[in-house]
Amino acid sequence: MCASKRKKANIMPVVKLYASLRKFAGTKELSMAGGTVRAVVSELARQKPAIGEIVLEKDRLAPHVIVTLNGHNITDLDAPVVEQDVVAIFPPIAGG
Amino acid sequence: MAGWSGNVLDIDLNSQTFTTYPLDREMARQFIGGRGLGARLLWDMVGPEVDPLSPANVLIFTNGPLTATGYQTSNRFSVTTKSPLTGTVLDANSGGFWGMQFKKAGYDVMIVRGRAEKPIWIEIKNDEITFHDASELWGLRVFALTEKLGQNNNRRNVLCIGPAGENLSRLASIMNDRERALARGGPGAVMGSKNLKAIVVEGKDRPKIEDPERFKFLLYETRKLLAASPLTSQALPEFGTVVLMNIMNNIGALATRNHQQTQFEGAEAISGEELTEKYLVRNASCWACPIGCTRISKTGKVEGEGPEFETTWALGAQCGIDDLPAIIEANALCNDLGMDTISVGSTIACAMELSEKGYLDSDLRFGRADQLASVIEAMAYRKDIGADLADGSLRLATKYGHPELSMTAKGMEMPAYDPRGLQGQGLLYATSNRGGCHMRGNMIGLEVLGLPKLIDRFQVQGKSSFVILNQNSSAAIDSLVICKFTNMGVADEYFARVLSAVTGIQYATGEMIKVGERVWNLERLYNNREGFTSKDDTLPPRLLTEAPGDGPSQGWVSHLEPMLKEYYRTRGWDQNGVPTKQKLTELGLVNLLN
Amino acid sequence: MVDPRIYEMFRDIGRDLFTSNMISSHGGNLSIRLGDRVVIKRRGAMLGQLKPHDLIETRLDRNDSGVALASTELLVHRTVYLNTPALAICHCHPRTAIAFSLSRDELVPIDNEASYLLKKIPVVTEEFASGTLQMANKVAEALRNYKIIMLRGHGSFATGQTLDEAFHWSSTLEESCQIELAAKLINEPFIEYRGMSGSYSKF
Repeated sequence: MCASKRKKANIMPVVKLYASLRKFAGTKELSMAGGTVRAVVSELARQKPAIGEIVLEKDRLAPHVIVTLNGHNITDLDAPVVEQDVVAIFPPIAGG
Repeated sequence: MAGWSGNVLDIDLNSQTFTTYPLDREMARQFIGGRGLGARLLWDMVGPEVDPLSPANVLIFTNGPLTATGYQTSNRFSVTTKSPLTGTVLDANSGGFWGMQFKKAGYDVMIVRGRAEKPIWIEIKNDEITFHDASELWGLRVFALTEKLGQNNNRRNVLCIGPAGENLSRLASIMNDRERALARGGPGAVMGSKNLKAIVVEGKDRPKIEDPERFKFLLYETRKLLAASPLTSQALPEFGTVVLMNIMNNIGALATRNHQQTQFEGAEAISGEELTEKYLVRNASCWACPIGCTRISKTGKVEGEGPEFETTWALGAQCGIDDLPAIIEANALCNDLGMDTISVGSTIACAMELSEKGYLDSDLRFGRADQLASVIEAMAYRKDIGADLADGSLRLATKYGHPELSMTAKGMEMPAYDPRGLQGQGLLYATSNRGGCHMRGNMIGLEVLGLPKLIDRFQVQGKSSFVILNQNSSAAIDSLVICKFTNMGVADEYFARVLSAVTGIQYATGEMIKVGERVWNLERLYNNREGFTSKDDTLPPRLLTEAPGDGPSQGWVSHLEPMLKEYYRTRGWDQNGVPTKQKLTELGLVNLLN
Repeated sequence: MVDPRIYEMFRDIGRDLFTSNMISSHGGNLSIRLGDRVVIKRRGAMLGQLKPHDLIETRLDRNDSGVALASTELLVHRTVYLNTPALAICHCHPRTAIAFSLSRDELVPIDNEASYLLKKIPVVTEEFASGTLQMANKVAEALRNYKIIMLRGHGSFATGQTLDEAFHWSSTLEESCQIELAAKLINEPFIEYRGMSGSYSKF
């Protein structure tokens, strides 16, 4: 019986994509490195330019894009992000 | 008269006769049409002594001056009555094509009084009004009946009740154009109590527009605005209203299992994304609407309109159900039977909780998608356990000793948005004149979507002025009558200008919204007269005292009390929530109290 | 003291107003309606450098102790809140817009953004700039039908549901006027690119 080697889990923040963003990304969920919401979203835009075009306008969020950090709406892109955080991004949408 | 057709059709079911007379112009100017005009007329006609299911109650169908002008979404119409579910003033609002046709038939208002001795249906072809025997039609479900009476979207439109209305279920809706609904508060039961099975209209005349040049310009600008807004031009057509499922779940404001939680682990499975990917056939729209939010969905068993977000929530998360095809089929069943999906779903959820806790002897359990169809049928026919559920969750929960487990405000089941995640929304439900309703001033624009801008959903101080503005604006729009989704791309100032261009009467934006304030206060007076007090401006104890244990809304309850105090003051009401004489004078309502 | 989140909103927009040259050091004003109360700048405070104590909260319908400290323009703001659906007011001095207001009764933008968002900005006149009932009523009356108006030679008043909405209209207006000024310098025939633009002045 050998002692099991404990591997440090490589946890990164998770980005969840919704509505039309899914088809542009080809997926619903990605792990994305970054210490702030801005860093995470910029990295996402770099990896998936089609998403970047919808979500970012210069270096700000495009109007009516909804970004939440662990369920809380984000307006300050410089909010810090840690490994277990979930960043959710919705393109401009509405309903009743 | 421009805009309005200028005519009231007054029907007496007892004698099967009718009269027509001119619409009171001053009343029209003050209340415009739709919900506003309906409220004003109901005030005169139906007082506290009237049982909603008695012949003395009335059904008032109303258009607005914009209806059938061709302005975007100028297809909507209202029905106003005293609600058999809540006992409050009730207006229900629907889209499709019937309202447009009714206006073309030459009427702004149709009042239906009394009760027919035997089931009848009414046919309206401009000034030709015919009463037909409906004994062969009684018992028919909505889809078959609509087809049988010759539904043609653009030319001949059917409005009717299904078995639920016939059986006086207080959750019964009035359906039009097959799958559009005047849903909430039980108007279908009122129609059923009058032995009125259907009203079919054909019309010939488009309304007169006072300033066609200006109207054309505003139509053009509205087209540009709706096309430029990603909400109305992309998101709603592509995903429909169900797109909200993941959004509301993500922020911890999706009521789940009879409001026991604020997040649903099955949300993804019943989301707009899932619907579009697996079950959507195409989108569709009402008359003169470029948005096209309607879903046409298909499962192995059904194909038809819907489901909307609220429906998917009520029969889904609220019941702990994550089976989307079952929900789609249950929606079709509710439409065919003529029932309000929100109240149906939330009442079933209440029954599920009562059963799980042993207060109600039934096998209903959260998550049991297989039970939906049979319990909905039972409700429409008042059979077995359906008899207990047919009149809503408050009567059900009260009967079994636990009224606090009914997730209602003033007796109407609340929709999906959990107030513990949205402070403003809680204030809205508690103060809404027809009960727990989101369409009388929805706060999710401001508190979730950032429309026009994002405000803090947990902020309490100052929330009341946003709620009040939304309520007043919504009341104005419900009186025009225009679809609120247009409002998501087009600001109120455009509606005021369209109203002015069509009618020739100049309404500044602030004046149009003041009409909404007038309507709101009148509805409040009506409810006060019925015996409602500030004690009724409240929410179930669960929302005031039980905070979610996890999720983004963890630890939050609805802080209703301070918001409500501020609300009364801001509305110009006294501390008991009664409009002051000063406020009523300002709104031109003070003479109603004499 | 006002809720920190509200203070931050005032501070950020006040700073943006100053840095974008829409106000002088001590000019302009911002307010919001909180239920039946108003939050407004302290008299003499600088919008570009607001501290928490620079925000005064006072009653909407009549005076209380807060009024001693509040800006002299409180009357205008109150009147607007009592007579329009506004929940926030941005009053500033957009230079180019003011210059245009001197010679016309309405501003009708030629650029895309402002014609899309604003269509037309009426100009009202009142000799006594601040603190009079006539001026307050005139401004409020105009704001019943337009979300941003000019007071000739003085500045703009914009309303919205939130401060950033009111600021949005103000900023758009000034940008629009600067574009028009540049077009006048360029002085070449205007090629109309917008459909039905002849109707903007009748908005």
